[in-house]
Amino acid sequence: MRKHGSHWSQGDREGYQRSNYYEGPHTSHSSRGGRTREEVVTPPLPEHAATGSQMATSLDFKTYVDQACRAAEEFVNIYYETMDKRRRALTRLYLDQATLIWNGNVVSGLDALNNFFDTLPSSEFQVNMLDCQPVHEQATQSQTTVLIVTSGTVKFDGNKQHFFNQNFLLTAQSTPNNTVWKIASDCFRFQDWSSS
Amino acid sequence: MSLPSGHNMGHTDQVVQRRARCWDIYQRRFSSRSEPVNPGMHSSSHQQQDGDAAMHGAHMDSPVRYTPYAISPYNRKGSFRKQDQTHVNMEREQKPPERRMEGNMPDGTLGSWFKITVPFGIKYNEKWLLNLIQNECSVPFVPVEFHYENMHASFFVENASIACALKNVSGKIWDENNEKISIFVNPAGIPHFVQRELKSEKVEQIKLAVNQPCDVSQEALDIQRLPFYPDMMNHDTTMASNPRKCMAASLHVHEENIPTVMSAGEMDKWKGIEPGEKCADRSPVCTTLSDNSSNINSILELFPKLLCLDGQQSPRATLCGTEAHKRLPTCKGGFFGSEMLKNLVLQFLQQYYLIYDSGDRQGLLSAYHDEACFSMSIPFNPEDSAPSSLCKYFKDSRNIKITKDPYLRGELLKHTKRDIVDSLSALPKTQHDLSSFLVDMWCQTEWMLCFSVNGMFKEVEGQSQGSVLAFTRTFIATPGSSSSCLHNNQCDYVRAPHVLARPKMYFPVTEPGDLAGAKKPKPNSQG
Repeated sequence: MRKHGSHWSQGDREGYQRSNYYEGPHTSHSSRGGRTREEVVTPPLPEHAATGSQMATSLDFKTYVDQACRAAEEFVNIYYETMDKRRRALTRLYLDQATLIWNGNVVSGLDALNNFFDTLPSSEFQVNMLDCQPVHEQATQSQTTVLIVTSGTVKFDGNKQHFFNQNFLLTAQSTPNNTVWKIASDCFRFQDWSSS
Repeated sequence: MSLPSGHNMGHTDQVVQRRARCWDIYQRRFSSRSEPVNPGMHSSSHQQQDGDAAMHGAHMDSPVRYTPYAISPYNRKGSFRKQDQTHVNMEREQKPPERRMEGNMPDGTLGSWFKITVPFGIKYNEKWLLNLIQNECSVPFVPVEFHYENMHASFFVENASIACALKNVSGKIWDENNEKISIFVNPAGIPHFVQRELKSEKVEQIKLAVNQPCDVSQEALDIQRLPFYPDMMNHDTTMASNPRKCMAASLHVHEENIPTVMSAGEMDKWKGIEPGEKCADRSPVCTTLSDNSSNINSILELFPKLLCLDGQQSPRATLCGTEAHKRLPTCKGGFFGSEMLKNLVLQFLQQYYLIYDSGDRQGLLSAYHDEACFSMSIPFNPEDSAPSSLCKYFKDSRNIKITKDPYLRGELLKHTKRDIVDSLSALPKTQHDLSSFLVDMWCQTEWMLCFSVNGMFKEVEGQSQGSVLAFTRTFIATPGSSSSCLHNNQCDYVRAPHVLARPKMYFPVTEPGDLAGAKKPKPNSQG
């Protein structure tokens, strides 16, 4: 009886073209030709070492740390602004198979995510804290991943303000010209969830 | 996590018993919350907690609802069979109006009425619509004086909690054209139909109730009986001490409606009001507010903003498209992908914090991968006024929103297990309250487990001894090799998690002794 509340079919998403927006540290337009506002893009990744090797030198590690920071800053700006002002576009930032745990509620896959964000009241986020770490390739099978942690306050329409913590795993999809980051996993919790 | 064989942790019987007790607490705490699901996090588990306030937006199955009706929701206009006669109609015919008026009031006083409106409901057959609503509504309701006015369908219900439940149905039902049906709820005066049945003593009761707004016992809207609204409860300290204010506020729907005292003389105004009367002309039964407390806003959220539904408003999609029906999903306890993983993670945490709290954190070396990372943050700037108990953590706090210097950013991220453990060892001695832990397992692949722990701990030494702090810590762990084993011999069939570790700590703060806003540990916990 319930319909799938998806406003953004796969076709819509891929065909969607809007003017560029970033002030972030990115270079030229991607080879795909135009990209949406709701994408997190950084310069291309450094060449990976062979699969299975560890991040051997501290220099490499530093590079990963810097890159993680860059992705994190870019991401957080876009994510929360999209969440607050362009909610319908938010799922563009997620992988198709991404999962969200929202105060203990599991939301899995883009359709469910679309539906979820559609039913969530409008929001006003204020991020006060941001930290990030590169994730070791042993954990990700060389899929470049960044752990992002944020905290701050949020006011959902019709509800009191809450402190929140949120974690993301962001994975990189590389092209020769840039790197596009998308959310693989997302965990959100009010700090005072038990009184909610 | 393997421990060096010579490691003497100073176990006593007491410690062992404490561990066992902690484990019991875990079992009790978590066993009711998680159910086995497929690893890979495609949830088909039913994580319902008590009650019906489950999140409908997720792809989880809806709870089974009480559905007294046999009629298909798509059965429209006039095609009803006799045996499908609705519960609704039977109710209306059987219950005398006087008894219905008494509603749920045990002492027989007047209930409070609410008008339920379905915009553009004129399209829908009455029985079909009511069935549809009842199927989705968590409580049975008795619609009174169902009618169409202009383009809309309306009826009345006599109970605030029912009104709230109906409000929740808004946006969760669809018609045959797959269009969402919205439901608006407003307080209303006593419906005309009911009016006619009033006996004189009931009129007197109404007058009494209205003229004595201070008398909470006669007031119909019983806050205690309303469904649990987080927004309301946040202000419950002030509300509990002044129920009159919140009673009055709850009837004051729209800020532009000037509340008026309904005197006995105005009762006559209600007589003869036709169903087609403009909504805006109806004065809700309400009392004057002597002062508009800010708590009103939290009550107002119970009711959507009043829309003008008279015929002069051209029907537009905007009437249906408001946020009135949106609610936050219920907050639930920690999520685990499966029972097995839950056990794994909890065991790991138990052991981790046992060492962490033991006074010697060098034992954690075996928990960390060679290339692990660690960082921590506190959500205060050094310039802000922050509790002094947090000041010692500022120097290690990594917040890249504030720290822009790449060198400093690099320094604050600890790399390699040696550096990490040294860094942890420099932090104050702690006692973590395992019973306060809430764990979300939020990413799980073949190679990695990612989980976040929310909990409380106490500093047990130093200047801030006794401070209670809340923390959130995220771990990324990889399965250990088969040669590593957990202390408690579960290495036979489960590979111990080897903490590759991106642990991150931050300390949303509580004042020592003040746990407001943070989860309280269970009273029997001894950590």
